[in-house]
Amino acid sequence: MKQEISALMDGELFEDDVGMVLDQFKRDPATRKNWVAYHLIGDVLRQPDHIHSDLSAKVRERMQDEPVVLAPRGHAVKQKMRTFALSAVASLSAVGVVAWMSLQISPEIAPQMAMQQAALRPASMQIQPNSEDYLIAHQEFSPSADVNGGATYIRAVSYSSDEATLPSKPSENQAK
Amino acid sequence: MTERDVDQQLVERVQRGDKHAFDLLVSKYQRKLGRLISRFVRDSAEAEDVTQDAFIKAYRALPGFRGESAFYTWLYRIGINTAKNHLLANKRRAPTSTPFDADDAESFEEASLLREVSTPENELMSKQVVDVVQASLLQLPEDLRSALTLREIEGLSYEEIASVMNCPVGTVRSRIFRAREAVAENLRPLLETSKGKRW
Repeated sequence: MKQEISALMDGELFEDDVGMVLDQFKRDPATRKNWVAYHLIGDVLRQPDHIHSDLSAKVRERMQDEPVVLAPRGHAVKQKMRTFALSAVASLSAVGVVAWMSLQISPEIAPQMAMQQAALRPASMQIQPNSEDYLIAHQEFSPSADVNGGATYIRAVSYSSDEATLPSKPSENQAK
Repeated sequence: MTERDVDQQLVERVQRGDKHAFDLLVSKYQRKLGRLISRFVRDSAEAEDVTQDAFIKAYRALPGFRGESAFYTWLYRIGINTAKNHLLANKRRAPTSTPFDADDAESFEEASLLREVSTPENELMSKQVVDVVQASLLQLPEDLRSALTLREIEGLSYEEIASVMNCPVGTVRSRIFRAREAVAENLRPLLETSKGKRW
């Protein structure tokens, strides 16, 4: 037991043995004497010029009048519970998000989506000369229209520039 | 498990109503706290009373100690406040003009200020204890003396000592214990004869 006390005061005792040694202090007052002597030796080696008397007997005497202190268990337990609860909520939220995302891409929907995407993929093909008018007329429905932005509009205006001379015809007529 | 963990275990036992655990903390820290308080309160008898007061205050405050700082830091803070309040109550100033922090308490060295004003009897008793410890240390085999010195004076961990002494950690544990026990064996007669007086 003395060797365990020596290791305990250095913080080098195996964790499993700590409780056993601390219990022994309660049961056997002789173990406390070893604790006191070993600490005194350390204090003398570190500070030989300043050795105080043993106050523990006097403090013990005064503590007889003191009520037994009892920390509200809630303090420590509540703190641990709060930490546990927060981490549990965070974990559950993460699992929920992952589950929701995996449901969105379920095995039944996934192939359909893949097919749709394949269908949307731009195909390269030769444009027939006679289909040019059709394409120009419907270019606003082209997927590339969004990307081109104003370019489409500019092309449409330039196309209609010939038409812009039309209003002048009546004026010519009027001149005639 | 570190020394701080051991303190925390003792604190938790006190918080569950175990007064014996507090007694162990008093035995461990009484001289360190006493040395700190005598930095403020020069008179040795007064310093002793203030040290006792500080321990009682710490005991009463322990239910609120959550272990966010080390126990000794918390205890030293109580010690400093108790000493300052004692001086205020007696309308005296602390014998220091510089701010003094609990964290610096252990490293603060000023032998002339730290040395308590002792009675001749107290001084004789202290001298006897110191002499016995130092003489016992010199009588120890080299490997035991080195292990104990590296631990108590240099503050090395068992693993560090094992590295310095080139031996297993288990051997270090055994050497330190054997060294302590050999010194304690010579010290016990002195502690028992002076029981109730000083030690």
